[in-house]
Amino acid sequence: MPLDKAVLEELRRAVGREHVIDSSNDLRIFERDASIEGAVPDAVVLPANTAEVSSVIRVAAKHRIPVVLRGAGTGLSGGAVTVRGGIALQVTRMRRILEIDPIAQTALVEPGVVNQELSLAAASHRLFYAPDPSSQKACTIGGNAAENSGGPHCLYYGVTTNHVLGMEVVFADGSVQWVSGDAPERVGLDLCGVLVGSEGTLCAITKIKVRLLRMPPSVATLLAAFPTIEAASQAVSAVIAAGIVPAALEMMDQVCVGAVEAHYHAGYPTDAGAVLLAEVDGIPESTVELMAAVRSVLAQNQGYAMREAQSPVERDLLWAGRKGAIGALGRIKPNYYLHDGVVPRSKLPQILSAVGEIGTHYKLPVANVFHAGDGNLHPNILFDLRERDVLPQVESAGEEMLRAVVELGGALSGEHGIGLEKSAFMPWVYSPDDLDAMRRVKDAFDAHGIMNPGKIFPDPDRKHAQLAGRTGLAIEAKWW
Amino acid sequence: MVVKTPQSKATAEKPATAEELARRLHEIGEAGLAVFPVGGGRAAEMGDPPVRDCIELRTTALDRVLEHSQADMVVSVEAGITLEALQAELAKSGQFLPLDPFNSPGHTIGGLLATGWAGPLRLRYGSPRDFLIGIRVALPDGRLATAGGRVVKNVSGYDLMKLHYGALGTLGVIVAASFKVFPKPLQDVTVESTHESMVDAWVASERALAMPMPPAAVELFSNGRVLARFLGSPDATKRMVADLGWKTVDAAAWDLHSKAAPARWARIAMPRHQLRSIVDNLGAGEQWWASPGTGIANWDVAGGADDVRAVRTAAGAAGGSVVLLAGPSEFRHDAGAWGTPPATLHLMRRLRSAFDPNHVINPGRFVV
Repeated sequence: MPLDKAVLEELRRAVGREHVIDSSNDLRIFERDASIEGAVPDAVVLPANTAEVSSVIRVAAKHRIPVVLRGAGTGLSGGAVTVRGGIALQVTRMRRILEIDPIAQTALVEPGVVNQELSLAAASHRLFYAPDPSSQKACTIGGNAAENSGGPHCLYYGVTTNHVLGMEVVFADGSVQWVSGDAPERVGLDLCGVLVGSEGTLCAITKIKVRLLRMPPSVATLLAAFPTIEAASQAVSAVIAAGIVPAALEMMDQVCVGAVEAHYHAGYPTDAGAVLLAEVDGIPESTVELMAAVRSVLAQNQGYAMREAQSPVERDLLWAGRKGAIGALGRIKPNYYLHDGVVPRSKLPQILSAVGEIGTHYKLPVANVFHAGDGNLHPNILFDLRERDVLPQVESAGEEMLRAVVELGGALSGEHGIGLEKSAFMPWVYSPDDLDAMRRVKDAFDAHGIMNPGKIFPDPDRKHAQLAGRTGLAIEAKWW
Repeated sequence: MVVKTPQSKATAEKPATAEELARRLHEIGEAGLAVFPVGGGRAAEMGDPPVRDCIELRTTALDRVLEHSQADMVVSVEAGITLEALQAELAKSGQFLPLDPFNSPGHTIGGLLATGWAGPLRLRYGSPRDFLIGIRVALPDGRLATAGGRVVKNVSGYDLMKLHYGALGTLGVIVAASFKVFPKPLQDVTVESTHESMVDAWVASERALAMPMPPAAVELFSNGRVLARFLGSPDATKRMVADLGWKTVDAAAWDLHSKAAPARWARIAMPRHQLRSIVDNLGAGEQWWASPGTGIANWDVAGGADDVRAVRTAAGAAGGSVVLLAGPSEFRHDAGAWGTPPATLHLMRRLRSAFDPNHVINPGRFVV
């Protein structure tokens, strides 16, 4: 439903005429993020600063219009999709790195700063920003904070929430506040902690103070082949069970390796059932010791053709293959659908066979490339949208995969968020009382429900889980 | 049946299950009374004195390990288990929870989460805020609500763990929790240096913090002693210890340190590089110890409420805070446990109202 002319005029006054988009052709550009559902916003507004974000939200609050924050649009769960219409609040004009403090080892950034730009800017101080989503060349720190994003190196370093020290946010009434900051303790409730990962449903983020880490003096990266994906999974469990927590421990299956190798020529063994990419860092003494321990455990678990990167260039090439894997899958099919359920690490062999069986059942190729050390799956269901009626099949396959994850004691999402895509599945994991507790938090921050409506919470009017799961299955099985 | 001070055993209840605890919490609230949740009682003086009579609600009967998945390095426990009992369970498989609070032993997990107390290892591992992956709480309306899960990475729904951590139970009484646990390090070496001047002691602690493999803990004491702990692989720790050149001491030094608990105890939390200026101004006779790497100092307050307020003003101006962790009621009442509330107090109040509108849990004790 197009916005009232008077409302559009108020928005134009808030951010300047040229920063409000309302022509239907232009709006279509903002229909999607990197997930598979879309909805066209009624207006796109591009504020330049916190005051403008506040003004826009005040207009939205006055007229009870939905506000959906949007960074680079790389999100994978529909978080930036305006499913109930309203305003897409695009923050990419707010892209300044305001401060890098090499003494305190912190950075203050605007939400539109691209993840990798921050690490590049910090590099001259021998510092880096640890959370490294595969989309880091495009995704924004604001989006990362909203989704509590992860990345390969989060196995050791932790996810976004562990690196956000404080934020300036705009609440649903347009008020601007700082939550937390440089001090290690705050007085009162940890609002920052609950706002990180709240997927734009509680506030807009306008500044982010993050922790930077010292670059490790030494890094070692190992590629190892395995006869089967199950053997590789077993090896992952064995590494962790041996008390080694590598900086990263990533897996790719044969489908993925084939596509990556054809594209990057990184020397991935295409005959292997799966490969692992393991990285350790620290001082030279510890990387030598840790890498020897990793090699030994992998060798005991059918690992072969182990190859350690001999130069930074070789290491970058190995990582380019991993981080560009999903793009390379375009060689097989033009479209993909990706879930990111998490299972207890020891359940990896079981979930991977289940994922394989589901793919076979639906006659859809599946490529696995994922954060094995965390148990965080990324099964890519490959398809061609031009094929008739394929999309419902793809979605059903995805749903079955997530169902299997939950039945193994897992979680619906490790780093992509619930968004639009998985809200219907929340009752598989949480009881009505659990969801009610989350709802109370939502209402406390956003009484009128204007911030990113239709996300996280199940919307019975819109989407049902196809699989008739018992509510609160996990609770009956265990203690939750 | 009901007394003013929360210490009396006569008014204590010890529910046998989480469900019973939730039911009693509800019933007590319906009767117009209030509760003072107690785990090990090691932080019973934290916060302002309650403004209403409270019935002690003890969690110590909820002391089971619900599940320890060794291969997944995840543990789920009931809130009333002591830290020591949990560590003993984890040690069987070479694992541990990197949590070393002061005023030990005897803390319960629920108590540690509710108070947000952490110790020297926070430098390397962070606080439970960083490795708490799931939580279950009893709400004043009698319901039990869960958030998070039992996997190490999870963004399914709001991170309510963060809201309950350090909330002194004001949004619900914690009945169970899940943690990511860690492998015991291959080597664990403790070194010490002592200094006549505090200037030298600060320099020494900064030097330890700047080592290429940073120590897992660095503690600086007001008598000029610095204690550092290196965790890691054998050759790496050996090199750090050699490069630093301090005297190796028995790891029992940390056990002794963890017993520290001043009778009038204030926690100063500062942006790391502001800590020294605040601590330097405490006065020559004051006893304290600090984690210069995290920005926290623990102050054994020799003076009275005026001294606390003066330090608090300076700390606040530099972006930090001073919170009372222990002390006689009148001292806490006079100085105020928390200081000036943050600008977001109205939101915190709204959250509290959403869960505990009648302030049944710890009335008047917390910021909200």
